[in-house]
Amino acid sequence: MDGSASETNPGAGGVPPAGAALEIEVDGLRKTFGRRDVLRGVSFTLERGGFLVMFGPNGAGKTTTLRVLATLLAPSKGSVRVAGHDVREDPMPVRRAVGLISHSPMLYLDLTAQENLRFYADMYRLDDREERITELLDRVELAHRRYDVVRTFSKGMRQRLAIARAILHRPRVLLLDEPHSGLDPRAVDILDGLLGEIREEHTFVMVTHHIEKGLELATRLMILDGGKIVWEHGAGVARDAFDAVYREHVQEGSVL
Amino acid sequence: MGRQFLAILRKDLIRELRTREMLVSMFLFVMLALVIFHYAFGVDDEADLTSLTGGMLWVTFVFAVLLGLNRSFAQEKDEQCLDGLLLCPVDRVTIFLAKAAGNLVFLLIIQAVSVPVFTLFFVERSYLPDLGLFILVLLLADLGICTLGTLLATISMNTRARDLLLPIVFLPLIVPVLIAATSATTAIFAEGADLGALLGRLGFLAAFDAVFLVAAYGTYDFAIGE
Repeated sequence: MDGSASETNPGAGGVPPAGAALEIEVDGLRKTFGRRDVLRGVSFTLERGGFLVMFGPNGAGKTTTLRVLATLLAPSKGSVRVAGHDVREDPMPVRRAVGLISHSPMLYLDLTAQENLRFYADMYRLDDREERITELLDRVELAHRRYDVVRTFSKGMRQRLAIARAILHRPRVLLLDEPHSGLDPRAVDILDGLLGEIREEHTFVMVTHHIEKGLELATRLMILDGGKIVWEHGAGVARDAFDAVYREHVQEGSVL
Repeated sequence: MGRQFLAILRKDLIRELRTREMLVSMFLFVMLALVIFHYAFGVDDEADLTSLTGGMLWVTFVFAVLLGLNRSFAQEKDEQCLDGLLLCPVDRVTIFLAKAAGNLVFLLIIQAVSVPVFTLFFVERSYLPDLGLFILVLLLADLGICTLGTLLATISMNTRARDLLLPIVFLPLIVPVLIAATSATTAIFAEGADLGALLGRLGFLAAFDAVFLVAAYGTYDFAIGE
Protein backbone atom coordinates (compact mmCIF):
# COMPACT_ATOMS: atom_id res chain seq x y z
CA MET A 1 0.00 0.00 0.00
CA ASP A 2 1.32 3.40 -0.86
CA GLY A 3 1.50 6.71 0.92
CA SER A 4 -1.85 6.21 2.65
CA ALA A 5 -3.21 9.66 2.03
CA SER A 6 -6.70 8.22 2.18
CA GLU A 7 -6.01 6.76 5.60
CA THR A 8 -4.56 9.92 7.05
CA ASN A 9 -6.61 11.57 9.74
CA PRO A 10 -4.50 14.33 11.20
CA GLY A 11 -7.45 15.94 12.89
CA ALA A 12 -7.95 13.25 15.48
CA GLY A 13 -7.60 13.87 19.22
CA GLY A 14 -4.43 15.24 20.75
CA VAL A 15 -3.15 16.83 17.56
CA PRO A 16 -1.89 20.40 17.94
CA PRO A 17 -4.32 23.05 16.75
CA ALA A 18 -4.77 23.63 13.04
CA GLY A 19 -2.51 26.36 11.77
CA ALA A 20 0.33 25.50 14.15
CA ALA A 21 3.71 26.03 12.53
CA LEU A 22 5.25 23.00 10.87
CA GLU A 23 8.33 21.81 12.73
CA ILE A 24 9.10 18.88 10.44
CA GLU A 25 8.42 18.68 6.69
CA VAL A 26 9.42 15.53 4.84
CA ASP A 27 8.65 15.31 1.15
CA GLY A 28 9.47 12.34 -1.06
CA LEU A 29 12.33 11.15 1.15
CA ARG A 30 14.31 8.33 -0.38
CA LYS A 31 17.41 6.73 1.11
CA THR A 32 19.53 4.18 -0.65
CA PHE A 33 22.43 2.17 0.74
CA GLY A 34 24.26 0.69 -2.23
CA ARG A 35 21.51 -0.93 -4.28
CA ARG A 36 19.13 -1.26 -1.35
CA ASP A 37 16.27 1.22 -1.10
CA VAL A 38 15.68 1.69 2.61
CA LEU A 39 13.26 4.61 2.28
CA ARG A 40 11.08 4.80 -0.82
CA GLY A 41 9.31 8.11 -0.90
CA VAL A 42 8.35 8.98 2.68
CA SER A 43 6.32 12.18 3.08
CA PHE A 44 4.81 13.67 6.22
CA THR A 45 4.64 16.85 8.23
CA LEU A 46 4.52 17.45 11.96
CA GLU A 47 3.31 20.58 13.69
CA ARG A 48 5.19 22.25 16.52
CA GLY A 49 4.33 20.51 19.77
CA GLY A 50 3.24 17.32 18.03
CA PHE A 51 4.23 13.81 19.11
CA LEU A 52 4.64 11.45 16.18
CA VAL A 53 5.09 7.77 16.93
CA MET A 54 6.41 5.48 14.21
CA PHE A 55 5.74 1.78 14.32
CA GLY A 56 6.81 -0.90 11.91
CA PRO A 57 8.72 -4.14 11.60
CA ASN A 58 12.50 -4.32 11.82
CA GLY A 59 14.04 -2.94 8.64
CA ALA A 60 11.02 -0.80 7.81
CA GLY A 61 13.10 2.38 7.70
CA LYS A 62 12.06 3.96 11.01
CA THR A 63 15.54 4.49 12.42
CA THR A 64 16.83 5.62 9.03
CA THR A 65 14.10 8.27 8.96
CA LEU A 66 15.14 9.47 12.43
CA ARG A 67 18.80 9.58 11.41
CA VAL A 68 17.96 11.69 8.37
CA LEU A 69 15.97 14.08 10.58
CA ALA A 70 19.00 14.29 12.90
CA THR A 71 21.37 15.01 9.95
CA LEU A 72 23.29 11.80 10.68
CA LEU A 73 22.34 10.53 7.23
CA ALA A 74 21.87 12.58 4.08
CA PRO A 75 18.73 12.00 2.01
CA SER A 76 19.38 10.31 -1.34
CA LYS A 77 16.37 12.14 -2.79
CA GLY A 78 13.58 14.32 -1.52
CA SER A 79 13.38 17.27 0.80
CA VAL A 80 13.61 17.24 4.60
CA ARG A 81 13.19 20.38 6.68
CA VAL A 82 13.48 20.49 10.46
CA ALA A 83 12.79 23.66 12.44
CA GLY A 84 12.56 25.51 9.14
CA HIS A 85 15.95 24.41 7.81
CA ASP A 86 16.89 21.94 5.11
CA VAL A 87 18.90 19.06 6.62
CA ARG A 88 21.19 18.85 3.60
CA GLU A 89 21.69 22.51 2.71
CA ASP A 90 21.68 24.00 6.18
CA PRO A 91 22.51 21.29 8.74
CA MET A 92 23.97 23.42 11.56
CA PRO A 93 20.69 25.07 12.66
CA VAL A 94 19.01 21.66 12.43
CA ARG A 95 21.64 20.19 14.74
CA ARG A 96 21.08 23.02 17.21
CA ALA A 97 17.34 22.36 17.10
CA VAL A 98 17.43 18.59 17.47
CA GLY A 99 18.14 16.23 20.37
CA LEU A 100 18.37 12.48 19.94
CA ILE A 101 17.71 9.84 22.56
CA SER A 102 18.64 6.41 21.30
CA HIS A 103 18.75 3.01 22.93
CA SER A 104 22.49 3.63 23.03
CA PRO A 105 23.30 6.55 25.36
CA MET A 106 26.09 8.23 23.30
CA LEU A 107 28.08 8.83 26.47
CA TYR A 108 31.80 8.38 27.06
CA LEU A 109 31.99 5.59 29.60
CA ASP A 110 35.38 6.65 31.00
CA LEU A 111 34.27 10.21 31.72
CA THR A 112 32.17 11.23 34.70
CA ALA A 113 28.56 12.36 34.35
CA GLN A 114 29.70 15.95 34.79
CA GLU A 115 32.54 15.62 32.26
CA ASN A 116 30.17 14.14 29.69
CA LEU A 117 27.67 16.96 30.08
CA ARG A 118 30.44 19.59 30.11
CA PHE A 119 31.78 18.16 26.87
CA TYR A 120 28.39 18.37 25.15
CA ALA A 121 27.70 21.80 26.67
CA ASP A 122 30.92 23.07 25.12
CA MET A 123 30.05 21.46 21.80
CA TYR A 124 26.73 23.36 21.86
CA ARG A 125 28.49 26.48 23.20
CA LEU A 126 26.14 26.89 26.15
CA ASP A 127 26.68 30.10 28.10
CA ASP A 128 25.12 28.76 31.31
CA ARG A 129 27.01 25.47 31.28
CA GLU A 130 27.39 24.79 34.99
CA GLU A 131 23.89 25.95 35.97
CA ARG A 132 22.31 23.88 33.20
CA ILE A 133 24.31 20.77 34.14
CA THR A 134 23.34 21.10 37.79
CA GLU A 135 19.70 21.62 36.87
CA LEU A 136 19.60 18.59 34.59
CA LEU A 137 21.48 16.26 36.93
CA ASP A 138 18.91 17.13 39.58
CA ARG A 139 16.11 16.58 37.10
CA VAL A 140 17.31 13.08 36.13
CA GLU A 141 18.10 12.28 39.77
CA LEU A 142 21.82 11.80 39.19
CA ALA A 143 23.25 14.72 41.15
CA HIS A 144 24.69 12.30 43.70
CA ARG A 145 26.63 10.49 40.93
CA ARG A 146 27.95 13.67 39.31
CA TYR A 147 31.62 12.79 39.80
CA ASP A 148 31.35 9.07 39.03
CA VAL A 149 32.49 7.65 35.71
CA VAL A 150 29.60 6.52 33.54
CA ARG A 151 31.04 3.01 33.24
CA THR A 152 29.87 2.40 36.82
CA PHE A 153 26.26 3.39 36.02
CA SER A 154 23.40 0.94 35.50
CA LYS A 155 21.65 0.95 32.11
CA GLY A 156 18.78 2.93 33.55
CA MET A 157 21.12 5.55 34.99
CA ARG A 158 22.98 5.83 31.69
CA GLN A 159 19.69 6.31 29.90
CA ARG A 160 18.68 9.06 32.33
CA LEU A 161 22.00 10.77 31.75
CA ALA A 162 21.43 10.33 28.01
CA ILE A 163 18.17 12.23 28.40
CA ALA A 164 20.05 15.04 30.14
CA ARG A 165 22.58 15.03 27.30
CA ALA A 166 19.84 15.15 24.67
CA ILE A 167 17.95 18.09 26.20
CA LEU A 168 21.04 19.94 27.48
CA HIS A 169 20.99 22.48 24.64
CA ARG A 170 17.22 23.02 24.89
CA PRO A 171 16.35 21.48 21.52
CA ARG A 172 12.98 22.21 19.91
CA VAL A 173 12.69 18.72 18.45
CA LEU A 174 13.39 15.50 20.32
CA LEU A 175 13.96 12.32 18.36
CA LEU A 176 13.49 9.13 20.36
CA ASP A 177 14.79 5.84 18.95
CA GLU A 178 13.36 3.05 21.06
CA PRO A 179 14.13 4.93 24.26
CA HIS A 180 12.50 2.31 26.48
CA SER A 181 14.56 -0.54 25.07
CA GLY A 182 16.22 -2.62 27.77
CA LEU A 183 15.10 -0.45 30.67
CA ASP A 184 13.82 -1.89 33.94
CA PRO A 185 10.32 -0.81 35.08
CA ARG A 186 11.69 1.84 37.46
CA ALA A 187 13.82 3.37 34.71
CA VAL A 188 10.81 3.33 32.37
CA ASP A 189 8.81 5.25 34.98
CA ILE A 190 11.56 7.85 35.34
CA LEU A 191 11.91 8.20 31.58
CA ASP A 192 8.16 8.61 31.14
CA GLY A 193 8.05 11.13 33.97
CA LEU A 194 10.78 13.17 32.30
CA LEU A 195 9.09 12.98 28.91
CA GLY A 196 5.88 14.19 30.59
CA GLU A 197 7.70 17.12 32.19
CA ILE A 198 9.24 18.33 28.94
CA ARG A 199 6.27 17.42 26.75
CA GLU A 200 5.03 20.99 26.43
CA GLU A 201 8.40 22.37 25.39
CA HIS A 202 9.21 20.03 22.51
CA THR A 203 8.12 18.38 19.31
CA PHE A 204 8.70 14.63 19.39
CA VAL A 205 9.28 11.88 16.88
CA MET A 206 9.52 8.47 18.51
CA VAL A 207 10.32 5.08 17.03
CA THR A 208 9.19 2.24 19.22
CA HIS A 209 8.03 -1.36 19.34
CA HIS A 210 6.26 -0.57 22.61
CA ILE A 211 2.69 -0.28 21.32
CA GLU A 212 0.94 0.71 24.56
CA LYS A 213 3.49 3.42 25.25
CA GLY A 214 3.33 4.72 21.71
CA LEU A 215 -0.46 4.88 21.63
CA GLU A 216 -0.46 6.65 25.00
CA LEU A 217 2.02 9.37 24.01
CA ALA A 218 1.19 10.02 20.37
CA THR A 219 -0.69 12.88 18.81
CA ARG A 220 0.04 11.22 15.51
CA LEU A 221 0.60 7.58 14.58
CA MET A 222 2.38 6.09 11.63
CA ILE A 223 3.26 2.62 10.40
CA LEU A 224 6.22 2.14 8.10
CA ASP A 225 6.89 -1.00 6.15
CA GLY A 226 9.32 -1.63 3.34
CA GLY A 227 10.52 1.96 3.38
CA LYS A 228 7.04 3.47 2.91
CA ILE A 229 4.32 4.87 5.11
CA VAL A 230 1.56 2.31 4.92
CA TRP A 231 -0.79 3.86 7.49
CA GLU A 232 -1.05 7.22 9.20
CA HIS A 233 -3.58 8.44 11.74
CA GLY A 234 -4.19 10.91 14.51
CA ALA A 235 -4.25 9.90 18.16
CA GLY A 236 -7.08 8.13 19.88
CA VAL A 237 -6.69 4.66 18.41
CA ALA A 238 -7.49 1.78 20.74
CA ARG A 239 -5.02 -1.07 21.09
CA ASP A 240 -7.32 -3.67 19.51
CA ALA A 241 -8.03 -1.41 16.56
CA PHE A 242 -4.33 -0.70 16.11
CA ASP A 243 -3.49 -4.40 16.15
CA ALA A 244 -6.05 -5.00 13.42
CA VAL A 245 -4.67 -2.12 11.36
CA TYR A 246 -1.15 -3.41 11.82
CA ARG A 247 -2.09 -6.88 10.66
CA GLU A 248 -3.90 -5.41 7.68
CA HIS A 249 -1.11 -3.14 6.49
CA VAL A 250 2.15 -4.84 7.34
CA GLN A 251 3.21 -7.61 5.06
CA GLU A 252 2.95 -11.14 6.33
CA GLY A 253 6.01 -12.37 8.18
CA SER A 254 7.02 -8.96 9.45
CA VAL A 255 7.37 -8.76 13.20
CA LEU A 256 6.59 -5.69 15.25
CA MET B 1 35.56 26.71 16.83
CA GLY B 2 38.11 27.22 19.62
CA ARG B 3 35.80 26.08 22.39
CA GLN B 4 34.67 23.00 20.47
CA PHE B 5 38.24 22.13 19.45
CA LEU B 6 39.38 22.35 23.07
CA ALA B 7 36.37 20.35 24.26
CA ILE B 8 37.17 17.42 21.95
CA LEU B 9 40.89 17.59 22.72
CA ARG B 10 40.28 17.83 26.47
CA LYS B 11 37.85 14.93 26.34
CA ASP B 12 40.36 12.73 24.50
CA LEU B 13 43.19 13.67 26.88
CA ILE B 14 41.13 13.09 30.03
CA ARG B 15 39.92 9.77 28.74
CA GLU B 16 43.40 8.63 27.74
CA LEU B 17 45.05 9.76 30.97
CA ARG B 18 42.35 7.84 32.84
CA THR B 19 42.52 4.61 30.82
CA ARG B 20 46.05 4.84 29.36
CA GLU B 21 44.96 2.42 26.63
CA MET B 22 46.84 4.14 23.82
CA LEU B 23 49.83 5.46 25.72
CA VAL B 24 50.68 2.18 27.42
CA SER B 25 50.43 0.13 24.23
CA MET B 26 52.42 2.68 22.22
CA PHE B 27 55.05 3.03 24.94
CA LEU B 28 55.52 -0.71 25.37
CA PHE B 29 55.77 -1.18 21.62
CA VAL B 30 58.40 1.54 21.22
CA MET B 31 60.49 0.29 24.13
CA LEU B 32 60.34 -3.31 22.96
CA ALA B 33 61.26 -2.28 19.42
CA LEU B 34 64.25 -0.29 20.66
CA VAL B 35 65.45 -3.16 22.84
CA ILE B 36 65.09 -5.59 19.94
CA PHE B 37 66.95 -3.22 17.61
CA HIS B 38 69.65 -2.84 20.24
CA TYR B 39 70.28 -6.55 20.43
CA ALA B 40 69.69 -7.21 16.72
CA PHE B 41 72.14 -4.58 15.50
CA GLY B 42 74.37 -4.01 18.47
CA VAL B 43 75.77 -7.40 19.29
CA ASP B 44 79.18 -6.18 18.24
CA ASP B 45 80.03 -3.34 20.62
CA GLU B 46 82.27 -1.78 18.01
CA ALA B 47 79.49 -1.50 15.43
CA ASP B 48 78.70 2.03 14.33
CA LEU B 49 74.92 2.23 14.34
CA THR B 50 74.59 5.94 13.80
CA SER B 51 73.84 5.55 10.08
CA LEU B 52 70.81 3.42 11.02
CA THR B 53 69.45 5.72 13.70
CA GLY B 54 66.92 7.61 11.58
CA GLY B 55 65.46 4.45 10.09
CA MET B 56 65.17 2.66 13.42
CA LEU B 57 63.57 5.64 15.09
CA TRP B 58 60.97 6.49 12.47
CA VAL B 59 59.97 2.93 11.60
CA THR B 60 59.34 2.45 15.31
CA PHE B 61 57.30 5.64 15.61
CA VAL B 62 55.22 4.95 12.49
CA PHE B 63 54.22 1.49 13.71
CA ALA B 64 53.60 2.81 17.22
CA VAL B 65 51.29 5.53 15.95
CA LEU B 66 49.24 2.91 14.10
CA LEU B 67 48.39 1.36 17.46
CA GLY B 68 47.16 4.72 18.72
CA LEU B 69 45.23 5.74 15.63
CA ASN B 70 42.94 2.74 15.72
CA ARG B 71 42.25 3.23 19.40
CA SER B 72 41.54 6.93 19.02
CA PHE B 73 38.42 6.21 16.98
CA ALA B 74 37.46 2.94 18.63
CA GLN B 75 36.31 4.93 21.69
CA GLU B 76 34.07 7.08 19.48
CA LYS B 77 32.37 3.97 18.15
CA ASP B 78 31.68 2.69 21.68
CA GLU B 79 28.12 3.48 22.80
CA GLN B 80 27.61 5.36 19.49
CA CYS B 81 29.54 8.34 20.82
CA LEU B 82 30.41 9.27 17.24
CA ASP B 83 26.71 9.86 16.60
CA GLY B 84 26.60 12.13 19.64
CA LEU B 85 29.58 14.05 18.30
CA LEU B 86 28.14 14.34 14.79
CA LEU B 87 24.82 15.52 16.18
CA CYS B 88 26.54 18.59 17.59
CA PRO B 89 26.63 21.81 15.55
CA VAL B 90 30.34 21.54 14.95
CA ASP B 91 32.29 21.92 11.74
CA ARG B 92 33.68 18.52 10.76
CA VAL B 93 37.10 20.10 10.18
CA THR B 94 37.13 21.08 13.86
CA ILE B 95 36.62 17.42 14.77
CA PHE B 96 39.50 16.48 12.48
CA LEU B 97 41.85 19.11 13.87
CA ALA B 98 41.05 18.15 17.47
CA LYS B 99 41.48 14.44 16.85
CA ALA B 100 44.74 15.03 14.95
CA ALA B 101 45.96 17.30 17.76
CA GLY B 102 45.16 14.59 20.29
CA ASN B 103 47.10 12.01 18.32
CA LEU B 104 49.98 14.48 18.01
CA VAL B 105 50.07 15.04 21.77
CA PHE B 106 50.12 11.30 22.44
CA LEU B 107 52.93 10.77 19.91
CA LEU B 108 54.96 13.61 21.40
CA ILE B 109 54.54 12.14 24.89
CA ILE B 110 55.84 8.79 23.64
CA GLN B 111 58.74 10.51 21.88
CA ALA B 112 59.62 12.58 24.93
CA VAL B 113 60.14 9.37 26.84
CA SER B 114 61.63 7.17 24.15
CA VAL B 115 64.08 9.50 22.39
CA PRO B 116 66.39 9.77 25.43
CA VAL B 117 66.34 5.98 25.72
CA PHE B 118 67.07 5.75 22.01
CA THR B 119 70.10 8.04 22.29
CA LEU B 120 71.45 5.96 25.15
CA PHE B 121 71.21 2.82 23.02
CA PHE B 122 72.29 4.05 19.63
CA VAL B 123 73.88 7.50 19.54
CA GLU B 124 77.58 7.75 20.19
CA ARG B 125 77.88 11.50 20.40
CA SER B 126 75.67 13.97 22.17
CA TYR B 127 72.81 15.23 20.00
CA LEU B 128 72.28 18.25 22.21
CA PRO B 129 74.01 20.72 19.83
CA ASP B 130 71.43 19.81 17.16
CA LEU B 131 68.48 19.44 19.49
CA GLY B 132 66.57 22.37 17.98
CA LEU B 133 66.80 20.92 14.49
CA PHE B 134 65.89 17.48 15.73
CA ILE B 135 62.80 18.83 17.48
CA LEU B 136 61.83 20.62 14.28
CA VAL B 137 62.13 17.35 12.33
CA LEU B 138 60.06 15.59 14.99
CA LEU B 139 57.31 18.22 14.89
CA LEU B 140 57.06 18.39 11.09
CA ALA B 141 57.16 14.63 10.61
CA ASP B 142 54.72 14.06 13.49
CA LEU B 143 52.33 16.59 12.01
CA GLY B 144 52.35 14.76 8.68
CA ILE B 145 51.95 11.37 10.35
CA CYS B 146 49.06 12.54 12.53
CA THR B 147 47.33 14.50 9.76
CA LEU B 148 47.36 11.63 7.29
CA GLY B 149 46.82 9.04 10.01
CA THR B 150 43.79 10.77 11.48
CA LEU B 151 42.20 11.20 8.06
CA LEU B 152 42.74 7.55 7.14
CA ALA B 153 41.71 6.28 10.59
CA THR B 154 38.45 8.16 10.18
CA ILE B 155 37.81 6.58 6.80
CA SER B 156 38.71 3.09 7.97
CA MET B 157 36.77 3.19 11.25
CA ASN B 158 33.49 2.48 9.49
CA THR B 159 34.83 -0.62 7.80
CA ARG B 160 34.76 -4.11 9.24
CA ALA B 161 38.47 -4.71 8.65
CA ARG B 162 39.64 -1.38 10.06
CA ASP B 163 42.56 -2.91 11.98
CA LEU B 164 43.87 -4.31 8.71
CA LEU B 165 42.79 -1.54 6.36
CA LEU B 166 44.47 1.34 8.19
CA PRO B 167 48.05 0.02 7.93
CA ILE B 168 47.50 -1.12 4.35
CA VAL B 169 46.45 2.38 3.31
CA PHE B 170 48.54 4.40 5.74
CA LEU B 171 51.97 2.82 5.35
CA PRO B 172 52.41 3.33 1.57
CA LEU B 173 51.18 6.92 1.80
CA ILE B 174 53.45 7.81 4.71
CA VAL B 175 56.59 6.60 2.90
CA PRO B 176 57.56 10.12 1.67
CA VAL B 177 57.47 11.41 5.25
CA LEU B 178 59.37 8.38 6.45
CA ILE B 179 62.12 8.95 3.86
CA ALA B 180 62.47 12.65 4.59
CA ALA B 181 62.32 12.24 8.38
CA THR B 182 64.75 9.32 8.32
CA SER B 183 67.35 11.08 6.21
CA ALA B 184 67.01 14.30 8.21
CA THR B 185 67.34 12.47 11.53
CA THR B 186 70.30 10.42 10.34
CA ALA B 187 71.98 13.58 9.07
CA ILE B 188 71.52 15.23 12.44
CA PHE B 189 72.76 12.27 14.45
CA ALA B 190 75.44 10.86 12.18
CA GLU B 191 76.88 13.56 10.03
CA GLY B 192 76.20 16.74 11.90
CA ALA B 193 73.65 19.07 10.48
CA ASP B 194 74.28 20.06 6.87
CA LEU B 195 71.93 22.99 6.94
CA GLY B 196 71.28 23.19 3.20
CA ALA B 197 70.32 19.52 2.81
CA LEU B 198 68.33 19.60 6.01
CA LEU B 199 66.36 22.62 4.93
CA GLY B 200 65.31 20.77 1.78
CA ARG B 201 64.03 17.84 3.83
CA LEU B 202 62.31 20.13 6.29
CA GLY B 203 60.69 21.96 3.39
CA PHE B 204 59.46 18.67 1.98
CA LEU B 205 57.98 17.69 5.34
CA ALA B 206 56.25 21.06 5.65
CA ALA B 207 54.85 20.73 2.12
CA PHE B 208 53.56 17.24 2.88
CA ASP B 209 51.87 18.53 6.04
CA ALA B 210 50.25 21.36 4.10
CA VAL B 211 49.00 19.05 1.33
CA PHE B 212 47.33 16.65 3.73
CA LEU B 213 45.92 19.41 5.90
CA VAL B 214 44.27 20.86 2.80
CA ALA B 215 43.16 17.39 1.67
CA ALA B 216 41.62 16.73 5.07
CA TYR B 217 39.93 20.13 5.05
CA GLY B 218 38.31 19.32 1.73
CA THR B 219 37.35 15.72 2.37
CA TYR B 220 36.71 15.29 6.08
CA ASP B 221 32.99 15.97 5.89
CA PHE B 222 32.73 13.06 3.48
CA ALA B 223 35.24 10.92 5.38
CA ILE B 224 33.42 11.10 8.70
CA GLY B 225 29.95 10.88 7.18
CA GLU B 226 28.05 7.77 6.19
